[in-house]
Amino acid sequence: MLRDSVSNLTVAEHSKYSIHEDPAAGQLKAALLKDIHRSVYVYRVDCGGCNGCEIEIFAALTPLFDVERFGIKVVSSPRHADVLVYTGSMTRSMRVPALRAYHAAPEPKICVAYGACGCSGGIFHDLYCVWGGADKFIPIDVYIPGCPPTPAATIYGFAISLGILGQKLKTSHHVQGEDEHVSLAHPQVPYLLRVQLERESRRMAGYLYGKQIADTFLTMLEENPNQVKENVQAYLDKQADPRLSEIVARLVTVYDGYQGAV
Amino acid sequence: MTLLMEEKPKVGTKYVAALRARFGAAILEESWQAPDQVTVTVPLNSLPDVVAMLYYEQGGWLATVAANDERPLNGQFAIYYVLSVEGTNEGSQAPENAYVLVRAQIPPHQPEFPSVTPKVPAAIWYEREVRDMFGIQPIGMPDERRLVLPDDWPDGLYPLRKDTMDYRYRPEPVVEDENYEFINVEGEGVVQVPLGPLHMTSDEPGHFRLYVDGEHIIDADYRLFYVHRGMEKLAESRLNYDQVTFLADRICGICGYAHNVAYSSSIERALEIDVPLRAQYIRTILLEVERLHSHLLNLGLACHFVGFDTGFMNFFRVREKAMKMAEMLTGSRKTYGVNLIGGVRRDILKEQRTLITQVLGELKSEVADLVSILLETPNIVQRTQNIGRLEPQVARDFSPVGPTLRGSGFARDIRVIHPYAAYDRVPWHVVSKDGCDVLSRTLIRAEEFFESISLIERCLDSMPAGPILTEGFKYKPYKYALGYVEAPRGEDIHWSMLGDNQKIYRWKCRASSYNNWPPLRYMLRGNTISDAPLIVASIDPCYSCTERVTVVDVRKKKATIIPYKEMERYCIERKDSPLKKY
Repeated sequence: MLRDSVSNLTVAEHSKYSIHEDPAAGQLKAALLKDIHRSVYVYRVDCGGCNGCEIEIFAALTPLFDVERFGIKVVSSPRHADVLVYTGSMTRSMRVPALRAYHAAPEPKICVAYGACGCSGGIFHDLYCVWGGADKFIPIDVYIPGCPPTPAATIYGFAISLGILGQKLKTSHHVQGEDEHVSLAHPQVPYLLRVQLERESRRMAGYLYGKQIADTFLTMLEENPNQVKENVQAYLDKQADPRLSEIVARLVTVYDGYQGAV
Repeated sequence: MTLLMEEKPKVGTKYVAALRARFGAAILEESWQAPDQVTVTVPLNSLPDVVAMLYYEQGGWLATVAANDERPLNGQFAIYYVLSVEGTNEGSQAPENAYVLVRAQIPPHQPEFPSVTPKVPAAIWYEREVRDMFGIQPIGMPDERRLVLPDDWPDGLYPLRKDTMDYRYRPEPVVEDENYEFINVEGEGVVQVPLGPLHMTSDEPGHFRLYVDGEHIIDADYRLFYVHRGMEKLAESRLNYDQVTFLADRICGICGYAHNVAYSSSIERALEIDVPLRAQYIRTILLEVERLHSHLLNLGLACHFVGFDTGFMNFFRVREKAMKMAEMLTGSRKTYGVNLIGGVRRDILKEQRTLITQVLGELKSEVADLVSILLETPNIVQRTQNIGRLEPQVARDFSPVGPTLRGSGFARDIRVIHPYAAYDRVPWHVVSKDGCDVLSRTLIRAEEFFESISLIERCLDSMPAGPILTEGFKYKPYKYALGYVEAPRGEDIHWSMLGDNQKIYRWKCRASSYNNWPPLRYMLRGNTISDAPLIVASIDPCYSCTERVTVVDVRKKKATIIPYKEMERYCIERKDSPLKKY
């Protein structure tokens, strides 16, 4: 019976008129949320993920995070489920099984799109063998973004879907004022020198640490250009990190080279 | 070739010489992509013989098969059989390990090639994939079914041909139901077990069918690739070289970084970029961190399937330490995103080093305790010894990889055979066992875990100074090379050809499980169905993947569908056979 109702619709119709929730089911859901408090059964539907999301949901079940202490339990059949968690971008092969799982779960049910792919299709959103995120076909109540969401985010997401927390979806628009400007970083340091230092720092320590180390160096340079080497040395002695000393020594060489050229 | 390459001696010349001696004029062309990578072009008709000779006479293992639409370049399709040729005379002299790529051109007006599968069974999935994706027919191929594309995909539309379709083109489904034909097992009394495609303990959807006589499995068949999304086409159309590293992370949620390194190193090798030594060490450390959590996951599952759930939960508790370590090193628990072409994006400073050393110590003692508890549990040996045997000859024929192969007596590890990153700079040893059973594969994972810890410690101790990123190189069109990494479950092989528009021309990535699935059928045969989940988990196939099992009883000619949960329960409790109930 379910199969018939699914197969009478073409894919284009599915995406155009995706399943609309029955208003009565919506009321039931509200009642369910009020009464549920504990013991929620979750069924996972992998629609074509890389297993990253599945593993993180799994991690949320294991002793360190242990969602079962909140009464959240993963079950093996959609017929037992209160919550359906859709992970992965919806592939062609998984569309019908995913819909079958949706119809198999009893009303009222809460549908969760999990992970970047489940929410929107992620990096795969426009591929030939993918239909997009789960919300193309299934009415989604809660989105848990992340690639993959951490176990902490997973628990937070479950709390939202149970109505313990409200999902904070906010938009705000900022219009730049007349006298509002983004201030330049390290305006005292000549542009060319700054670029050279930042580039060398990134080559040595990568984007994150490179930026942090370059910032520290540039700040010291701005504070006291005449005494920069002494200050840097004092800083390095305090940190006692041989790798940091090596990187900063390279920055000092770049600085000397620039001074020499000027 | 360039100056740099002539400096290093070529490895593998003797294999090319042997081919020339046997096939003479059939070796049309020989070109070297790296000191240990050579491509020989042969006429289409000699293809099966050349591949078979390299495979069985020169000690070759099938690494991957890549088809390529080279019509815009030279008017022909091309197919590359990639073999890691390792010689046969063991011990007498230093082994000579080289990648030999056997290339044949296929005329577009007659898209056919003689199938290699009858001579080398390992090629079976690759050739089915080539037919799906390029519409090139393997002639003489025993299996005519689709492999990769979904059942609702229209016939005659081949996604990876350059002129067929945009990567965003989504044809309407041609059928609404799955119509995949599983093999027919004839005989008295078989029971069918379709498992799938959705299932509880996790992961990838897949569909199994077991054929059993009473409680004994006679044969098995499976339909996978439910999650085929079209990554290779995506890499060729929308992403640039550096962006593909982030896509490679998302090939697999567990061994994504291994794919990432395999991809980046294939590009680096094609362009002869020197990756700084420090970056190589950082890659090695991260690859081993990934192996730590992956092996703990599989050990946990092994506990689960023999009904030792305390061990299962404990392994997962300890596994969180490995995850924490990944987070400290990369900022992310799973998709690390730290590779770029030419190096890495994040250094290891003193703070991270101290923290990791501490966590490694904790991991070492806790896992040692857990493993000894596991092995002292009488259940584990009883349930896993001589179960799911992968006979060495089957292993030789199908080129499985990783612990699956090493459990059958082959000490074959890409980290030693074709060293990459920093694996030839720090001392360690390969773990292999010859029990051929589930127990051997589990023990290998346990021992490799400690090997990984000492590898990380040694890498941290001897990490060289210097930059972590090479910049300022130029991409050269149509160069190609292989990238290879020993992921936790076996080697990942990437074959990349660069394009002329800042995008890859062709990217063929082969994950480790791909080679382990075909021999699984032989591992299941002759075992009882209560051991099936255990055997499937022992190859760690992004794991058991399945929700219900069709059991076909050969004697009663009756097909029963058993929920996977029931199978799993039966595997754990071993009583009240589901076959009697349903």
